[in-house]
Amino acid sequence: MSEILLEARGVSKRFGGVVALKGIDLVQHRGEAVGMIGPNGSGKTTFVNLMSGHLKGNTGSIRFDGRPIEGRNPYQIAQAGLTRTYQAVRVFGELTVRENVAIALVDTPNAIGQAGVSELADWLRIGHRFDARAGGLTLLEQRQVELLMRLVQQPKLMMLDEPVGGLSSAEVRTMIAVLSELKSRCTIFVIEHTMKVIRELADKVVVLLAGEKLAEGPPADILADQRVINRYLGNIDA
Amino acid sequence: MTGPTSTTLSVHDWKRTVVPLGVFAVLAFAVPVALSGNRYLAFVAGITLIHILWASGMNLLYGYTGLMPLMFAGIAGISAYFAVDLTSSGWSFWIALPLGALMASVAGTILGLPSLRLKGFYFTLCSLVIQTVITLGFVYFAGLTNGDTGISQIPLPTAPGGGTISPAVFDLILATAAVIGVVVLIAITRSSLGKRLVAIREDDELAEMLGINVTRYKMTAFFIGSLFAGVGGALYAPYIGFISPRSFDVLISMNIWLMVAFGGRGTIWGPVVGAVILVPLSFLLQEYYTVKDVIYGLLIIAVIVLMPGGIASGLKRTARPIEAAAPGMAERRGAK
Repeated sequence: MSEILLEARGVSKRFGGVVALKGIDLVQHRGEAVGMIGPNGSGKTTFVNLMSGHLKGNTGSIRFDGRPIEGRNPYQIAQAGLTRTYQAVRVFGELTVRENVAIALVDTPNAIGQAGVSELADWLRIGHRFDARAGGLTLLEQRQVELLMRLVQQPKLMMLDEPVGGLSSAEVRTMIAVLSELKSRCTIFVIEHTMKVIRELADKVVVLLAGEKLAEGPPADILADQRVINRYLGNIDA
Repeated sequence: MTGPTSTTLSVHDWKRTVVPLGVFAVLAFAVPVALSGNRYLAFVAGITLIHILWASGMNLLYGYTGLMPLMFAGIAGISAYFAVDLTSSGWSFWIALPLGALMASVAGTILGLPSLRLKGFYFTLCSLVIQTVITLGFVYFAGLTNGDTGISQIPLPTAPGGGTISPAVFDLILATAAVIGVVVLIAITRSSLGKRLVAIREDDELAEMLGINVTRYKMTAFFIGSLFAGVGGALYAPYIGFISPRSFDVLISMNIWLMVAFGGRGTIWGPVVGAVILVPLSFLLQEYYTVKDVIYGLLIIAVIVLMPGGIASGLKRTARPIEAAAPGMAERRGAK
């Protein structure tokens, strides 16, 4: 397999008396799409927050692209090529799409050129909305603006926190098509509750339960795993 | 490249900036000259020019970076006292001015540190406390500030060569400072620094996630904004001839903030217009000093309730719905 891109060893996070993550190990190779599933409160978003530097872990080490990143600030991690999206869509709502993209380009060491921006905007079918206020776009369009703002930075790893959350079933299909193609542009890590997304995108699935890793493996095996079905999948509409 | 998805600014934007800047620069110099026959009116113009500089600095922090520093006047005061003390102990005003402004910048950057932790209203509340402490400091360190009595009969500076500077000439120095202030603000808003500051104003966590060093650029904004406060403070003292802790108290901070909010925060010309309207207004109201604060208070409430974006956005808003409604309506029709 290709080289390791993200390597977390024994990562833990406590919030006061609540243990959100207990010694999680995770290895993601370059080009490998990892899906993370688990019930609400199992620590998925906390895991992404630790990787992106939004939270500092209590124990453990994190290496990204060959360098240790634990304790670094989010902007340093972003500049190193690890980017993320948020569970709730997050753009600069009062600014135009053009201004949003311009901001994404400001402090990016590896920023794409103008031709690259046009190509990406066309691919995401958002080019015609460049002068619109980002906050006035539909949810799907805002999700696409989020992706555009990350892609112009040419990240090495994009961590997506519930990328189809809140979308209609038709929009989910559009987004899955976009994300499948996204896999050829950068390595992705996806948190999702929608198993369709995991099944179609992930090469490897990690299941979290109450802050611990319950299972890890190829999607077909994991989605058929009796422990996973009993403790998580049995409860939701897969 | 200026394609439909270009992220560089077009020439059109420059025209909209350069023409008003030219008009402003001409007026900044012409109005004090035209009024030079009447020293009182020329003085009102001079004070307005200082406030344009202050409002531009406040605008950088409040309008572009989203921080409302109510210790702004206190920072101006630090520079004013520093420059006056240096000048009276024999230094040239033209050295004391940059040193005082630099002092204000350093102080402002340090006093801006709470903004790294506190957002929005909470930072404003904190800055109010800082302003109060600065005012108390001006009273307490009477050896440097002459306490509550203040320092009076501050002379106008002499020219660098040695000749005297008349009030009319000092008006032109104030005009120069105001024009430079506005030019610097325009340059910042056009630069990548401006984009970073707007990103911080809109959502500092998202800005950081996109690779922007939020701590560093908040501090940069405080350094530059305080420089505006400091240059204005150092020029204010000899122009008025008298400073006391009350010259730089929280009401002055509120006044400067009101100019920015009333005119239109986050626009270049809004706060300039705000200063041009509100400074002469406060002179007009001086005869009615009993109701002056009431009128100011009502104005603050009116701005917050009726025009949260100030005059500039009030004008924009009347124009916007027409533009915005058209594509939305077309989409809805298309859907049917």
